[in-house]
Amino acid sequence: MAAKPPTTIQRRIVVAAGICVLAFTFVGIRLVDLAVLKSRRSSSIVADRSEAPVVRADILDRNGRLLARDLPVFDLYARPRDFWDKAEAAHGLAQVTGVSQTRLARAFAGKHNYVLVAKQITPVTREKVMHLGLPGLEFQASTKRFYPEGDARPVIGMTQAVSGGRGIAGIEKGLNAQLTAGKPARLSLDMRIQYTLLHSLDVTRAKYSAKAAGGIVLNVNTGEVLAMASLQDPKRAGYDPTRNIMAANDYELGSVFKIFAFALALEDHTITFDTTFPVGSGFKIGRFTIHDAEHMPAVMMAKDILAESSNAGTAQIALRSGPQRQRAWLQNLGLLQSVRTEIPERARPLYPSNWGQVETATIGFGHGISVTPLAFVTAAAEIVNGGRRIRPTFLKQAGDRRGEQILKPETSLRMRELLRYVVTNGTGRNADVPGYDVGGKTGSAEKNEGGRYIAHKLLTSFCAVFPIDNPRYLVFVMLDEPHGESAVMALAGHTAAPLAGDVIAHIAPMLEMPPSAVVPVPAKGNS
Amino acid sequence: MIARVLNFFFVGLAALSCLALYRVSENTRVANMELASVNRQIAQEHSTMSVLQAEWQRVANPGRIQKLAQAYLGTNDTPVMELSSFEMLPRRGENPLDSNPVQNASMTAPVNGNANLHLVVANRN
Repeated sequence: MAAKPPTTIQRRIVVAAGICVLAFTFVGIRLVDLAVLKSRRSSSIVADRSEAPVVRADILDRNGRLLARDLPVFDLYARPRDFWDKAEAAHGLAQVTGVSQTRLARAFAGKHNYVLVAKQITPVTREKVMHLGLPGLEFQASTKRFYPEGDARPVIGMTQAVSGGRGIAGIEKGLNAQLTAGKPARLSLDMRIQYTLLHSLDVTRAKYSAKAAGGIVLNVNTGEVLAMASLQDPKRAGYDPTRNIMAANDYELGSVFKIFAFALALEDHTITFDTTFPVGSGFKIGRFTIHDAEHMPAVMMAKDILAESSNAGTAQIALRSGPQRQRAWLQNLGLLQSVRTEIPERARPLYPSNWGQVETATIGFGHGISVTPLAFVTAAAEIVNGGRRIRPTFLKQAGDRRGEQILKPETSLRMRELLRYVVTNGTGRNADVPGYDVGGKTGSAEKNEGGRYIAHKLLTSFCAVFPIDNPRYLVFVMLDEPHGESAVMALAGHTAAPLAGDVIAHIAPMLEMPPSAVVPVPAKGNS
Repeated sequence: MIARVLNFFFVGLAALSCLALYRVSENTRVANMELASVNRQIAQEHSTMSVLQAEWQRVANPGRIQKLAQAYLGTNDTPVMELSSFEMLPRRGENPLDSNPVQNASMTAPVNGNANLHLVVANRN
């Protein structure tokens, strides 16, 4: 007998059952999704939401010390109509926030529904405001750039005085894109070295009543700037504590520039240490006669010309190289273009467009050309570090970053011997530090005002390198118009050289540089 | 009869599934709220730590400590002269000079108050 076809009711039952099965299958799938799968996705989404919004990143020194950070602050607004007693509210808010009570009282009595009470108050002040128990107060979260250490202000720079403002000077401007993207900047600066340099400069500037002082500590193998300090006399007109004079100002540095003339002469074998030159009665070139500030012997050897800093002798040595060779040499050392680093502050060097014999002679002893101290130390580092190019940087680096060979290693070695001779036998005696063989060169340059060199206005400097047998660090210090007890006592040998020695004595242990091995031996008679 | 029992069983199972689904959903919502609250607290603590770190750097500034040391401890800036490093010191029982030759130092370090003390350099290579 054939099966009966399903009735309408039976078909409907089957369809309804099918729908129920589908619905509950969906419920089962959704259950598994919520209980197992979605819980994993939710935790990751929540974790992402838990990260703080991106603010301007920190700036740190090479050891991780904080130099700049965005801190939370609040702008305080009030709705005066919510106050029970506007005068009392003005008084309480003025006491806590430090704003003018009169201004607040006038604002609360006016027609405005919404009054700005104070901008950028700290979280501590916010707590105090909340403890007043006043209604109608609103806090708008904001950020403020905070600089815990002011010692490196000319290098760090600053941002606009608004929340989230961009950098307008120094590292803040140079690395603005990186900091805005939330990536911290680890600088090459060592704040221990920075403070030591700054303190020594401050004491010496005050001692000699100098108009300004500056210093740089540079790693000659990596180009890292460990410290850069600029100080000015606050009583002088035009005082600007944020100006980075070591990177942004050109100076005629004087005799420290002789390093380059001697290096070129040794590189080209136009002199040896013992080559003699007549210097006693000055050196006549064209219608000019170059004299020395101090009395010099009639004839001097090249090494003594550098040690005693004779301009007449150096001019003759520079002329052996000639204008074209000298210009190319200085160009190769980077002294004829501005130095590019991570900070925007820089200055183009000033040098003569017509570079003849007279210019060659004067540039040889550091006059007639103006460069920034940063450009000078970079070139000097290239002379002493084996003769290889370096690029100065304010970011922490790892490893040796010396580049191409720009002078022979032998020349660099001879120059190091000469610089050590300057300290042991010449004008740099006061820069020596027991245990650290310091080499260096003094510079006492008469300043040029209105086209005339002024005898009693000096720019004294000292460029020190240590340890001289295997140089690692270069210390450059500069004093603008120091005043000594006499004209001689204002020279670099008595002002800048001891300053450099003092800095080296303090920073060498911080730099973990062991001195030459010494063993104290008691003299006879001691037990 | 069996079909009816099975029917009641699966209807009951469906009802329990709905309840379980609702419970899981509600627990998730509550957990998310608690998590958000904890994350706000963490953010607040991070902010406080950030402020404290900055404040610590400010009070630990070498210039500030120097001023305090001079004002309250009477200490002054003294010259530093590191004569040797720790690694160079001879160990107990060692001959400090071994067989190395003794050389004169490049200069004599000033020794205040003890003019009889001389310094020499020992080559320890």
